[in-house]
Amino acid sequence: MLKRQFLMPIAALAILVGSMVTLVLFKSPRETTHRTSTLIATTNISDRVTLRFVSWKPDHPKAWDEAIARFEQAHPTIRIEREIAPHSSTAYHDLLSQKLKNRDTSMDLFFMDVIWTSEFAAAGWALPLGARFPSSERQKFFEATIEAGTYRGELYGIPSRIDSGMLYYRKDLLEQYGFAPPRTWDELVLQAHTIVAGERTRQPALRGYSGQFKQYEGLVCNMLEFLGSLHGASAREARNPLLTLTSPDALTAVRFVREQIVHALATRAVLTYQEPESLAVFVQGKAVFHRNWPYAWGMANDPRHSNIVGKVGVAPLPHFAFGESVSALGGWLYGISAYSRHPEEAWTFIEFMTSPEMQRHFAMHASLAPSRIALYRDDAVLQANPQYRALFPVFQTARPRPRTPVYPIISHILQRYFSRVLAFPRLDIREEAEEAQRMIERFERLVPLQS
Amino acid sequence: MHMQSLTRAPRTQADRHTGRLMILPMLVVVSVFSLYPAVDSFLLSLHRWFLGLPSLGRPFVGLDNYREFLQDPIAHQALLVTAGFVLASTALELLLGLGIALVIHEHFVGRGGVRAAILVPWAIPTVVASQMWRFLANDQYGAINLVLFGDDIGAYVPWLADPWSAFGIIVLADVWKTSSFAALLILAGLQLIPDDLYDAARVDGATAWQRFWHLTLPLLKPALLTALLFRTIDAFRVFDLVFVMTQGGPGDATQVIQFYGYKTLFTEGRVGYGTTISVTVFVVILMLSFLYVRMVGSKLLERRAT
Repeated sequence: MLKRQFLMPIAALAILVGSMVTLVLFKSPRETTHRTSTLIATTNISDRVTLRFVSWKPDHPKAWDEAIARFEQAHPTIRIEREIAPHSSTAYHDLLSQKLKNRDTSMDLFFMDVIWTSEFAAAGWALPLGARFPSSERQKFFEATIEAGTYRGELYGIPSRIDSGMLYYRKDLLEQYGFAPPRTWDELVLQAHTIVAGERTRQPALRGYSGQFKQYEGLVCNMLEFLGSLHGASAREARNPLLTLTSPDALTAVRFVREQIVHALATRAVLTYQEPESLAVFVQGKAVFHRNWPYAWGMANDPRHSNIVGKVGVAPLPHFAFGESVSALGGWLYGISAYSRHPEEAWTFIEFMTSPEMQRHFAMHASLAPSRIALYRDDAVLQANPQYRALFPVFQTARPRPRTPVYPIISHILQRYFSRVLAFPRLDIREEAEEAQRMIERFERLVPLQS
Repeated sequence: MHMQSLTRAPRTQADRHTGRLMILPMLVVVSVFSLYPAVDSFLLSLHRWFLGLPSLGRPFVGLDNYREFLQDPIAHQALLVTAGFVLASTALELLLGLGIALVIHEHFVGRGGVRAAILVPWAIPTVVASQMWRFLANDQYGAINLVLFGDDIGAYVPWLADPWSAFGIIVLADVWKTSSFAALLILAGLQLIPDDLYDAARVDGATAWQRFWHLTLPLLKPALLTALLFRTIDAFRVFDLVFVMTQGGPGDATQVIQFYGYKTLFTEGRVGYGTTISVTVFVVILMLSFLYVRMVGSKLLERRAT
């Protein structure tokens, strides 16, 4: 009895102390990981180096397995260990930022969505790569992709490929009605109305336009493409549309989308569409025009998914009367963790994966559009992807979305603004734009001028 | 008498000591998994901390985040949407739950099967159910449109595109999913009502409606209150329906407070403000719980006294 009375407080105390110790350990990973890092670094020198690459699950796993095997063959002292993260960009972002916030030294390489560069750079999570990647090398890539990897003059991400918004159209219908692909939004509206009216009896379900207008990141891409195309592509306003949300032009453009596109050509159903839903409408033959990323080309010409194989054309997105086409840049950049113990080896890997040979490999076997310009004159690449001839001018219209470390916040403000004015047709666009602009400025002011 | 002598048995000092020791492990578990996170969250909410801007540090800002919350129009709208959702879904679920409970309380052939079937929606994970409702509401192939309009494709409605109908669909999905849970709690209450009360009422010539209004309903109060408690708290925490079906859209019309908190905390990396929202939700739910527990508790005591 006496013994038991002693045992219990001891056991309880042990549990208490144990749980506190665990909490303390969880709270300060910094100290513990630093200790292990020096330990492993000293024992690993003569050994093979293992790099941990945290990436999403690729759409063409075979092409990736082969690429990594080729790398390991060329560099026998480096081994690549892959950790597969969630497919969703947001969930992947959450995972990476957790690891980086905790200064996880086990991760060496990751992908950055083009909208994360500023955040990762300002947070000190991504290693600066400028010294390793001279401007002679940068010039071989699409300017927008390099720009997307740059924050305050320093390069943090190497573009693995290029991705940008473009206009898909029904080649057969446009030809039948004697139209060339539209260059301005007004032309697009006119053509779409003519074709939809002409086809009314044969195809009652045909709509003029389908794009992504649900409240999410894709809405920002779609809307910034409209707003950016108000100006010449090199204009300050086109480069940073946030400057001008409340300008009369910008308000007119948003009204145009609300009245001429969403509640007319597209029908308000697009307010619920992300990429898959909007593409489904197009490949079923129910839309004349469609805005999407390059991957839609393959889907629209795949007889398993599409009713319109061979009837699809691509063109740069239209622009407003005095502007130039602008398309939102998407895609992924290779980055090196600032906490990696093997930055040299990690750089070797990035250099290999973004080489002309490997970009050719990915273009031919994984349908990833190269970020290197020269490959658009490459016979092997063009033979496997004849559409790249038409896509090349589209990619030249690509522009990064606003580059700021608080982009996730800015994006939510823009999503709210655009979604509200599109979904509530009676809302005053100017008032909403002013509110959005105020909120954006409030957060932009938080970003330190020197970081 | 016997009960009292049991509970009021004189305890020795050693007994009490052992008793305290025995609840200690549970106290530790509660402190580590409930108390510690709650206190830590509250402390976090007193700081300004942007994940993406480490150069700002994490200065202590006192109640600034709470002040911001009071002035944040997006948060107010989210609270309004949440309140609307709680009111609409809880009211409908209790009504429907009562109906279901009254039906499955009756004796009829195949009652076991019906009872099991009614529980099926409740057993489906919410994420799966939300995905299903998203498909049902689709403008191209959604079953809701098929049922309402048949082959008239031109009349098909994109239910999630309109702010009001999107809100309605989310309430509907919640009602579909959790009415059976309310029914289950109410059924338990029904089974506690002794049959002789009804027999006596019948002898006195009470009609079916009178028996329901003057007998069933008053005696069901504790069960109804319990169901109300669970449903209000659950509805206040709604997240997955919105996350899967609308992402808060269109135009923030379905953005509930928990989803707004998630966005600020995890996507935007505004740790201080995000936890402020979580703490606020926590406090509201805590207050609701206290309120209900007192109400339910007093009702139960009242009944025991009679």
